[in-house]
Amino acid sequence: MSRSHPFNWLGWSSFALLLVTWELIARATPKLLLYFPPVSRILAALGQALATGSIVQHGLVTLGRFAEGYLLSAALAVTLGVMLGYFRFLHSLLATSIELLRPMPSVAIIPVAILLLGIGDGMIVSVTVYASVWPILINTIDGVRSVDATLIDTGRTFGLNSWRILRQIILPGASPYVVTGLRIGLSIALILVTTAEMIAGSRGLGFFILDEERAMNSANMYAGIVVVALMGYALNRLFLLLETRAMKWRHGMMARQVA
Amino acid sequence: MVALWRFKGAGFLLTLLAIWELAADAEWINALIVPLPSKILKIFFELVASGQIPMQILVSMKRALTGYLLAAGIFIPLGIFMGISPMIYRLFEVIVEMLRPVPPPVVIPVALLFFGLGDEMKIFVILFSCAWPILLNTIDGVRGVDWVLLNTARTFRLSRVKTIWQVILPASLPQIMTGLRVSLPIMLILVVISEMVGSTDGIGYFVLDSQRRFKVAQMYAGMLALAILGYMLNQLFNLIQWLLLPWHRGMDNRKDEG
Repeated sequence: MSRSHPFNWLGWSSFALLLVTWELIARATPKLLLYFPPVSRILAALGQALATGSIVQHGLVTLGRFAEGYLLSAALAVTLGVMLGYFRFLHSLLATSIELLRPMPSVAIIPVAILLLGIGDGMIVSVTVYASVWPILINTIDGVRSVDATLIDTGRTFGLNSWRILRQIILPGASPYVVTGLRIGLSIALILVTTAEMIAGSRGLGFFILDEERAMNSANMYAGIVVVALMGYALNRLFLLLETRAMKWRHGMMARQVA
Repeated sequence: MVALWRFKGAGFLLTLLAIWELAADAEWINALIVPLPSKILKIFFELVASGQIPMQILVSMKRALTGYLLAAGIFIPLGIFMGISPMIYRLFEVIVEMLRPVPPPVVIPVALLFFGLGDEMKIFVILFSCAWPILLNTIDGVRGVDWVLLNTARTFRLSRVKTIWQVILPASLPQIMTGLRVSLPIMLILVVISEMVGSTDGIGYFVLDSQRRFKVAQMYAGMLALAILGYMLNQLFNLIQWLLLPWHRGMDNRKDEG
């Protein structure tokens, strides 16, 4: 996927062609206007929503919930994963419970969360934490277990205490796995935030998009989707950026992610 | 020894459930919100016996698998072509990169507009969300095919179709299966979400509706059914993979045990 470094004229032309076709079809058939507004109208709606700030506010709400939920779950899952990966006894104790909970599609927790926590921010953040914990946890456990036992023994031989073995051997060794888990967790967190906002919310982009659909303002709905997509794209790029920087220094990374 | 470890985990779980049962029985926790495990199990078996849960699951699975198989049927071939031909890859690259970061649930309102509350809405949403892992893994798999294999095929003057069918497809199958595996839980999540947001039946609707009617034990029973369903789908996938990839046997199973 790294071969296409020069500007992809072909790809951008096909994308532009798609948009132009969309625009022309939508203009030619006013009957479709409700479902299928012309691209130009969507852009106008986006511009207007940005100018009035309404979409920015919803976006910030979603981003805040996402950040809170994702960072909490990263801290929780990495800590727990290191413990479960390191202490066999703890793992054998919890393995069955984990194996039973994990296959349940995470969104099924939303009704329980509504029951326990109502429909506020707390509920949305909690379901986000719950859902994105799993990939991070499982990958961290695998990562800790993949650390070469000889390295740990060597550390012991040189008289490192448990804390330094953890910080200087186990965490760096497990970091590729942890990063994979964190990347999967990122997109899951985004899915859960938007879903929870659709099912029980009065703010946020998930709410905004579904609400505009129900009000039959399809141009606004598409504008909301563009904003969510841009947010998802930006978050992924940010993650990749942090990942490449972290992989250069390797252990500085873990401290930052746990924090 | 391994069996003993397993037993310890089950014992711990049973202890937790026993504490929960006792705490609920002694009314330390609100039984309206967290009912007795025994009551949940009883209602679960009742709902299974009465056919209500199996019927809802059947409805959901029909939607889920249609979307999943459609995604596989469209995006595995597309991925193969994009993997073989850099031109086709470049042609679709930007469109894929634009659509991929859209969180799948956000597509539900669009699907609602176009298809209403019917099955097509869910199928479309599942198709959309399973598309990307399947497509990207197929492309990677095809690109990873050993050059020696392709050159050998050329030496033997295999036709293009035969090269794809007999060389490229089998060689990239493990990676294609990875994409299909990653999509499986996504499929389940999206069918549940789309039934929660816009539906009048299906297991996702059932769980959310039970909550709204305050039939709390029934809600937990639905969640239990979903957990069992997720587990069974994964086992079924393992079985299919075991049958399809005989040379990979024993390699991939470990990954799942977490």
